[in-house]
Amino acid sequence: MPRASYVFLGRFEPASFAEFVRHRAARLAIAAEIGALGAERIEVAVAGAEELIEMFEMACSLGPIDCVVLDVLRRPN
Amino acid sequence: MSAGWYPLALADGIEPGTSAGTQLFGKELVVWRDAGGAAHVWEDRCPHRGMRLSFGFVRGDRIACLYHGWQFDGAGQCRAIPAHPHLDVPETIKVATYRVAERAGVIWAADAHTEAPEPAARDALTPIRSLYVDRPVAAVRAALAGAGFPGADGAPLPFAGDAGGLLAFGAPEPVLFAALQPFAAGRTALHILAVGAPAAEDRVALAGAAEVLRRALEGASALAEAAA
Repeated sequence: MPRASYVFLGRFEPASFAEFVRHRAARLAIAAEIGALGAERIEVAVAGAEELIEMFEMACSLGPIDCVVLDVLRRPN
Repeated sequence: MSAGWYPLALADGIEPGTSAGTQLFGKELVVWRDAGGAAHVWEDRCPHRGMRLSFGFVRGDRIACLYHGWQFDGAGQCRAIPAHPHLDVPETIKVATYRVAERAGVIWAADAHTEAPEPAARDALTPIRSLYVDRPVAAVRAALAGAGFPGADGAPLPFAGDAGGLLAFGAPEPVLFAALQPFAAGRTALHILAVGAPAAEDRVALAGAAEVLRRALEGASALAEAAA
């Protein structure tokens, strides 16, 4: 199963972004594990179908309304 | 949504293969009818990007979002994503759905887990029109219960009570029914039906009388607010 690690850089309300990550991962039926959870950097490891991982990345690049994502870095696991 | 069944549209106003947006207590809903004739009521929001599904296209027994073409079957389950034609779409990509009943010429909806009995069936009704009034549902109901409903000849049809979710008007037998939809705070939709098969000129007259009623309801509220 494809896996990937993401680093989201920006200005975050960490709890809000974490909830957003969990909600979108559940909707897309992919596994998501949140690592570092900060006001400027959030790390998420995911596993699932590649198409769904890409949808997850797109959704999180927009994020919840109280967060601003400035950059997304993806590394294969 | 509160417990119970709520009217959302005149049944003949939603043709097979079409969709329409509406609201219930301010929540946006899509009412659509598939090619087989079954009506569906869902949250009016594609789970992909939030586009209103009421803007979408009905194709057979599915509705497709206008935005990226995601297709949903009659149970609200996403079945196809055009950008990923080979993807096995997970069961988790689903639209929130409501129970639907078509009774008395009206499409009714209830929470998916409601235990409330379905609205009563009633035959031989002719749909007249739906009417949207900028007044709360309680105020509309109180006004109709007090003054009746304007008839085809302009004379008020007296309020004759609540009949299975429909307000009845006329004496000694009801000749008109109205279903009240709590559209949003301060806004009500009335779905109006006549008993039997009135002549075309009477249907037009009833539709016109309903406009008079709407102006009276909204005008009365404006006068009351101006006087307050």
